[in-house]
Amino acid sequence: MEPAPRQDLLVTAHYGRLQRLCRLLLGDPQEADDVVQDVFLKAHQAERLGQVPANWGAWLTRVAVNGCRDRRRAGGWMRFRLRGAHLDEVPLVALTPAPSDVAISEDTRRRIWIAFRTLPRRQQEVFALRHIEEQSTLAVAAALGLSPGSVKRHLFRAIRALRLRLGDAR
Amino acid sequence: MTRCLSDDALERVEAELASVAERAHLAGCAACAARHRQIRGELALITGVLRDTPEPGTRPAPARRVRWMPATVGLAAVAAALLIWVEVAVWRAVTPVPPTMQAQEVAAILADVSAALFSVSGDPPATTTPAAIAPAVIAEDAALSLEVMARELDQALTGGAP
Repeated sequence: MEPAPRQDLLVTAHYGRLQRLCRLLLGDPQEADDVVQDVFLKAHQAERLGQVPANWGAWLTRVAVNGCRDRRRAGGWMRFRLRGAHLDEVPLVALTPAPSDVAISEDTRRRIWIAFRTLPRRQQEVFALRHIEEQSTLAVAAALGLSPGSVKRHLFRAIRALRLRLGDAR
Repeated sequence: MTRCLSDDALERVEAELASVAERAHLAGCAACAARHRQIRGELALITGVLRDTPEPGTRPAPARRVRWMPATVGLAAVAAALLIWVEVAVWRAVTPVPPTMQAQEVAAILADVSAALFSVSGDPPATTTPAAIAPAVIAEDAALSLEVMARELDQALTGGAP
């Protein structure tokens, strides 16, 4: 069991990572920030009650993913309203784009985002944790409450769907 | 395994679902290894975009709403026309209308009323008690009154034509 870290150390170590993950899963920066704050509030409560998890990183990820799921469930009506919405012609914010980023066209970026958003929620979660958070299959399984085999199948479907949609675009 | 791996198999490799034979083939086949590198490159591109670039904003496009307006107005007009048609053509057809009376029926009714109220002789019937009037006289008066009234009405309705 990890020794209970100070709250500010926990925030410093995990805030950015959780914020990125929640933004990816929710697609709404404000909602994502709310979820991350809730996560650290729960971490503080757990620490105060002496319920220190064995692995803070995995625990925080799990709580964050569950928080995002709750938000998505609660925001069903909003999603229904936005279903008919399409991506606007908003230029991508890139203050100082890296040379490698310049090579990726704006259209490709838009298509990647759309392809990701059209994945089922579970596949989005698995892909985000496995590829963007670079967690192991076992860690993803633990965070999402799935078996490792199920994680692999979701990842396979996600990869195939993403490549298929981007292949159609090419 | 001698045949090269399909895209499906290479994606299974990436998801850690490939069989031992598929992984062994990939380790020894330069062509499959090159295709596998390509898939990894595509996934790295996707990962990089999702991780490092903000998601393009979404909001309901006003042009889309405007496109729906004519259709909505047209639908409302069709609905209103349908309601009017139902009112005019269908509702009135099923609503019972009181039958109009024939001229003869009107004449008969008026004759009955006249016979009951007035006598032919001009004497006010109220001055004589019912018991004092002989039944034969009443019948004769009634017959005469009916005849006269019917003739008058017939002339009024037909304009005097035979």
